Amino acid sequence: MRTGVAVAIGSILFWNGRANAEEQPDLASLSIEQLAQIKVTSASKQAEPLSRAPAALYVITQQDIEDSGVTSLPEALRLAPNLNVQQVDASQYSIAARGFNGIQAGNKLLVLIDGRSIYTPLADNVIWNLHQPLLEDLQQIEVISGPGGTLYGPNAVNGVVNVTTKNAQDTIGALARGTAGPLERTAAARYGFSLGPAGAMRVYANYDDREGLPSAFGPRGDDSYRSWQGGFRSDFGAGRDNFTVQGDIFHATDKLLAGDHANAHNILGRWTHVIGPKASFQLQSYYDWYSTDVTLVKSRLATFDNEAQLNLDTGAHEIVAGVGARRTKDRFVNNLNPFELDPESKTLWVYNVFAQDRFNLTRELSVIAGVKLEKSSFVGWQLLPNLRLAYQPNERSLFWAAVSRAVRTPSRIDRELQFLPFVAPSTEFDSEKVTAFEAGYRGEPSGWLSFSVNLFYNRYTDVRTTEVTDLPGNPIELLNGRKGTSYGIEAWGKAQVTPWWRLSLGASHLHNNFELIDGRVDLFPRNSLGADPKWQFVGSSDMDLTPRLRLTLDVRSVGPLDLPPDVPGYVETGGRLGYDLSERIELFVAARNLLHRTHLENGDGSAQLIKRSLYAGTRLRF
Amino acid sequence: MSWLRASFLLGAICAALLAAGAAHAEISDTAVKAAFIPKFARYVTWPPPAVGSGPLAICVIGDDPFGNALDQAAASQSVDGRSLVVKRLSSANGASVCAIAFVDGSHTGETLAALGRQPILTVTDSRTSSQRGVIHFAIIGGRVRFYIDNAQAQARGLTISSRLLALAVGVNQR
Repeated sequence: MRTGVAVAIGSILFWNGRANAEEQPDLASLSIEQLAQIKVTSASKQAEPLSRAPAALYVITQQDIEDSGVTSLPEALRLAPNLNVQQVDASQYSIAARGFNGIQAGNKLLVLIDGRSIYTPLADNVIWNLHQPLLEDLQQIEVISGPGGTLYGPNAVNGVVNVTTKNAQDTIGALARGTAGPLERTAAARYGFSLGPAGAMRVYANYDDREGLPSAFGPRGDDSYRSWQGGFRSDFGAGRDNFTVQGDIFHATDKLLAGDHANAHNILGRWTHVIGPKASFQLQSYYDWYSTDVTLVKSRLATFDNEAQLNLDTGAHEIVAGVGARRTKDRFVNNLNPFELDPESKTLWVYNVFAQDRFNLTRELSVIAGVKLEKSSFVGWQLLPNLRLAYQPNERSLFWAAVSRAVRTPSRIDRELQFLPFVAPSTEFDSEKVTAFEAGYRGEPSGWLSFSVNLFYNRYTDVRTTEVTDLPGNPIELLNGRKGTSYGIEAWGKAQVTPWWRLSLGASHLHNNFELIDGRVDLFPRNSLGADPKWQFVGSSDMDLTPRLRLTLDVRSVGPLDLPPDVPGYVETGGRLGYDLSERIELFVAARNLLHRTHLENGDGSAQLIKRSLYAGTRLRF
Repeated sequence: MSWLRASFLLGAICAALLAAGAAHAEISDTAVKAAFIPKFARYVTWPPPAVGSGPLAICVIGDDPFGNALDQAAASQSVDGRSLVVKRLSSANGASVCAIAFVDGSHTGETLAALGRQPILTVTDSRTSSQRGVIHFAIIGGRVRFYIDNAQAQARGLTISSRLLALAVGVNQR
């Protein structure tokens, strides 16, 4: 009897859901088939359906982000099975693909927001807590594991994360969101409006207040963090020309030392010109500036980047080519300890030119060949080629294979950090290099199931070591004293189990094998290799319980880290229950890290224990 | 913020180094200089005809503050498979065989002048001389450090590795 009622209710809900979907096609809730065809640009620097992109590419959609209930960009990246996300403290994260995860070692993942790199060449890392885009305005996040040097240049060694925000035309109207819980409070507002018949603009502000976390390795200061970011994006389209102008401004404070703060701002302009049905041209410039002033260590970086890109599609050939120049000016003043950069301030240049062609050998088999030539201040010209094969026996499956070379260029810290006579600047430290062999499958065996499998084998040379040298006085220096290999597998899939229930599963395995070159030593292997889990597993379930009530549950299981200090594996879950009070008002409750009061994700010296977090919130749209 | 983390770590390394340095400081300055001199050879390139193919000669011209310490240090080093030998000379006469010349004593200025522009890595010590060779020892912060006159090195046809230049207290560029 009960079962009968449940089935009846279920079918009514199901029927309602369907009816609703047919009346109002909701772009946010894409079907498995639509997801397989979702437009991506990361793999080729041109829009193409995901189904034909020959790379280990995972797409996090706006709907995924909203359903997961996350409040920050790094937390959203946990949705990608091909990334390992380690929360370090209340606001800082270390994120890597295919290894080398760690605050010092995490220098092999390139991250861009709307084409603007947020990877800093001062220390070669991504300072995640300087970036707080409004998650509601994100279009999608494309996560590539594997090298992206040919299209993205240096430091895209093991992955590229492309965060894109929505066109201003798609964010007309007002939005307000607030969440509150014992560990974190957020508040955000956005207003989007039309500018004449062909333009639109939005302005937004996003505030985040995080409580400090308990320390994991001995006493530490208060890592509570308060930050806000505001900004705008405007898009104009007139015939063949489209213009985007956008910018952000950021400010944060922490409580470690009075006066500690961080500031950042950026502005970006992009012009896209359609030359004809088969050709388009794009010009992009941005200026980005940040400064952090933390415990007597001040660092600043100003970046000015210009790039031009041409896309041609002749039918037989799809060509993308471009040139770029980037100038960075940094400044580093350390009043905490005697380590210094010499000179204190320096201007560096990076120039590049690249071309890539995709052409069909047969109806099913395509070859993608490309190369980037790049010159940077420290290491001169470098060649970043890649060769890919894509085999599409039918519209539902893609087999691909690739060989690529990528490099991680020396940062200012690598080359010029010194504390004489004990630590010598590393004047000969060279790029770290990888040659990657990859193969993968992406397919949609039926309309309700899609999955991807990627295999990789990476050969690294000139990996960084911290060595005692034979120089007079035997100072410590950074050198390229290590080589090694890693291999692994990444797999993920989505299943529409019932019309109202979708399951996503993902897993990755990584095996590292590094060795010192004969006679070399490494005082701090963890600083260069990081510490990675051998395996991780992520799963999530999205249910439309009723047309108004949506429940998402997620689970992740991460293996122990492979280098000391001991960071055990863990299993954690979270989720979100959202209820549409009306078309304009949504209420939700969400949880993260539900299973344990605290757990540890990262073994860097400053790592804190990550706490269970519960919060409630509301989102209003007008 | 990552800089904070990085600097804490650097602080720890720094403390470890200072501790190691304290142990190191008990060795006499002269012994440290004796250990440094043969190591310079590895980071200097001489013009091809200058130094032949046999052992590299480290000469002490004038006073010899090192005694046996320099010979021991030289014996434990080799450069590209070539051994190092120590020769003691009373003046610049016969110095053309020297790859490195440590010049000390009251006639330092005259000796340096007499060596002219030969391809010799001249080394002097601020303790006894205000005249400077290519490398000039100084005690700074209680430690043995050195200045490098790279302009003079280049005039002598010597190429000094950027790694050694980076360790100098100061580098006189051309």
